[in-house]
Amino acid sequence: MLFTTDQQTTEDLNIFGKHGGDSIFTMFNHTSTRGGAAIMESMFHSPLSNHSLINKRSRIIQYFSATDSFPFDAVLFDIADQYLANTDERTKLSFEAGSFVKRLSNLVAEDPAYKFVYTGVTAMIEILSSLRSFTEKLALTQEASVKEDLDVITAYLRSSPFDSLSTGNRNGKLAYTELQEVDVLFRFRHRDIIKKLLQYIYHIDVYISVGKTAAQRGFTFPKALQKELHLLNLQGVYHPRLAAPVPNDFNLTPSGNVIFLTGANMAGKSTFMKSVGIAVYLAHMGFPVPADMMEFSVLDGIYTTINLPDNLGSGTSHFYAEVLRVKKVAKELALGKNLFVMFDELFRGTNVKDAYEATIAITTGFAEKKHSMFVISTHIIEAGETLSKRCENIRFSYLPTKMNGLSPEYTYTLKSGITADRHGMLIINNEGIIELLKKGKTQAK
Amino acid sequence: MSFITDKQTLDDLNILGKYKPGSMFNLFNTGQTAGGERLLEDMFRFPLSDADLINRRSRIFQFFRSHALTFPFDQDQLTQMESYLQDSGEHTLLETGLRVIRKLVSAWLLKDEQYAVMQAGLLATTAVLQTCQVLLDKLNIQDRQHPYFDQVAAVGDILNDSRLAWIKTEKEAIPLSFLHVIRYDHLLRKILKNELNIILSFIYHFDVCLAVNQVAIANELSFGVALPASRNRMEAANLRHPTIKKAVGNVLSLSENTNLIFLTGANMAGKSTLMKAFGITMYLAHMGFPVAAESLEFSVKDGIYTSINVPDNLNMGYSHFYAEVLRVKKIAEKVSQGENMIIIFDELFKGTNVKDAYEATLAVTEAFASYRCCFFMISTHIIEVAEALKTTCHNIRFAYLPTVMSGNVPTYTYRLEQGVTSDRQGMMIIENEKILEILYSDQGLHPNT
Repeated sequence: MLFTTDQQTTEDLNIFGKHGGDSIFTMFNHTSTRGGAAIMESMFHSPLSNHSLINKRSRIIQYFSATDSFPFDAVLFDIADQYLANTDERTKLSFEAGSFVKRLSNLVAEDPAYKFVYTGVTAMIEILSSLRSFTEKLALTQEASVKEDLDVITAYLRSSPFDSLSTGNRNGKLAYTELQEVDVLFRFRHRDIIKKLLQYIYHIDVYISVGKTAAQRGFTFPKALQKELHLLNLQGVYHPRLAAPVPNDFNLTPSGNVIFLTGANMAGKSTFMKSVGIAVYLAHMGFPVPADMMEFSVLDGIYTTINLPDNLGSGTSHFYAEVLRVKKVAKELALGKNLFVMFDELFRGTNVKDAYEATIAITTGFAEKKHSMFVISTHIIEAGETLSKRCENIRFSYLPTKMNGLSPEYTYTLKSGITADRHGMLIINNEGIIELLKKGKTQAK
Repeated sequence: MSFITDKQTLDDLNILGKYKPGSMFNLFNTGQTAGGERLLEDMFRFPLSDADLINRRSRIFQFFRSHALTFPFDQDQLTQMESYLQDSGEHTLLETGLRVIRKLVSAWLLKDEQYAVMQAGLLATTAVLQTCQVLLDKLNIQDRQHPYFDQVAAVGDILNDSRLAWIKTEKEAIPLSFLHVIRYDHLLRKILKNELNIILSFIYHFDVCLAVNQVAIANELSFGVALPASRNRMEAANLRHPTIKKAVGNVLSLSENTNLIFLTGANMAGKSTLMKAFGITMYLAHMGFPVAAESLEFSVKDGIYTSINVPDNLNMGYSHFYAEVLRVKKIAEKVSQGENMIIIFDELFKGTNVKDAYEATLAVTEAFASYRCCFFMISTHIIEVAEALKTTCHNIRFAYLPTVMSGNVPTYTYRLEQGVTSDRQGMMIIENEKILEILYSDQGLHPNT
């Protein structure tokens, strides 16, 4: 089964970003080849939902994080990609072209078809010989998950036509007839194998790039647990895009699978939710996460609602947009999926009473889904009080505010309990709006 | 003093913009001439803040309603006249003569068209002036109290100038003699340059008046009556949004004792449309233009500010809430300076949580309401604010746009009613979407049953 998510979630977490901004993808993407970048992107698009696959990828990345640079010449891959992309039979070198007359004319003005095949084939041969020396070095490893893929690749390289081509001890230019044969081998007869070999190299590129990011930024590799455990244990999780983030500890279990989050406007609720969301998302890709330690049982998907757009153009209100979003999640939950769900400032688009009732009804409903995990933030603390009586598996956390005179200060450190902190009025008072109006009034009199 | 407004307000109400669909400028911009369009744009840019000026302009428009008039000028002749007058003439008659001779010679020798163009411009101008005379005779305004009298009389005086007597006798098609061309050219382009520009302005103004009147008839608009600011009241019957087809009309009234309308209602019930209709009506009324209402009386105000679609300004790092706070602050500054303003706030503080929005809306509304010479219209979905305001402020009129449930589907009447809505559809929408059923579907238990 696939790990499900949607555009709203990837936008909330800024997984891909807009127009190459500071997204999570660009943070990891230091690949040398275009093929590597493409594989990295597809990994981001489809996280895994199987703990052994996740752990395998994670171990491979850990292994390669020791490698400091990509051990191939990156330029060769652009040539090879272009060369392999051309599968037109007519571009094969013809037999009569080997005649004396052709060769003579080739001396005068180079034939582009010949040149295309020649540069492609030499680039491929060079890649193969680098790959051979790379695999020979790698063969010493004890890491089982690395070996698994390596054995497949080594078998290909040792098979009949590639063995001689990849040893690389040839001297001088390829003869015309030889070139003709190798070209057919690469582009047509053994095209599949060639593609697999390249894909392997591109994966290595990704692993090295991710491993390097992890090492530079001090990320840790999470441990994926079996689905049935329904656990999430995060220590020192932080937002990777902040300059001076404050780490937090956070855990969820079946007996406490709903976090009811309160806190003032600027206290860091959204940032906290985003950092947890990013960690969960990356962990399901087998990638390292910005935290000190992470253990998690594999889930079927993640849905967040942090910056819900109003969609005023389509005539639906903010409240209705929220309701539709809740409905979408409810449908997924009803299918029996185990999800990670986050709602920031649930039901802010309606009046206080409705928001209170709706928050209680929906949170109670969610709490019944003990195999999924929820983080719900709100300002309606009364709902928290009612919920604490009604459901045992809801845990209450808040992000505190300390008042330093009139200006609020934030610790960004999660505490357990409920807070009534709000600063909407404070912001208005700091801007002096009410005083302004009162003063104007007295002057008029 | 000019009428105070800003870009946010103009955007909210969709006032300006030749290329914006549905803008008010577009609605009225049906004139024939480019000069008329420029004049109309000026009127839109600078509404008036003086009751007499407003009423005079509006009475001129009304005069057109009672007279079946058409635009008598030929478009091509007008354009020719405009470009002819743009070239300023020479200083002396002699210089003019030399220039005409030069053009004439180059026309003979080089097949140059300059002389022909000049002669055509001269003839077109003559024709326009002749048409203008016909128009004045038709208007025939003798009453000195007539709002149009001054403008018409000014043009009449120019046309009756003895130096222009030849206009009446000159026939269009006959080629003018060489000496006549020199004399007339010097007269029109040099000596009477300002007078002719006055006539052009009159023609443009006439064009705008005709267009406005036609739009008024086609859209069933009517004219408001401006009262002095000291009367401090407004009353509108059957007030509509001018560009919405089959719009529902509503009665609105504001005065010193009830200077704030507090609007509640569900999200689709038409709050924003009503507020825009109110804003547009007040804006057009201050231009002396016809408005989409059966009748309208209003005291002149100093300006209008609206806050209907506040943009997020995320680029500047502001949250939506902070952007709204800054907007309110800007308006509060103007109001506290003692300007008599019309203020419209739609869904104040929707960018924050319910509780902050409740407190903030309450505090800000109370503070604003004490400015009795300003008119306010404030809407919110937080009905608890209305309950609280009822006890603290007595100059607030509570109104709502109702939602009528037909079965499970909400329908809207768009008709304003007194009071605070009790429609609380939040839970109903959740029930309609059957979210709780979906959540409990695999367990067969519902905590409320």
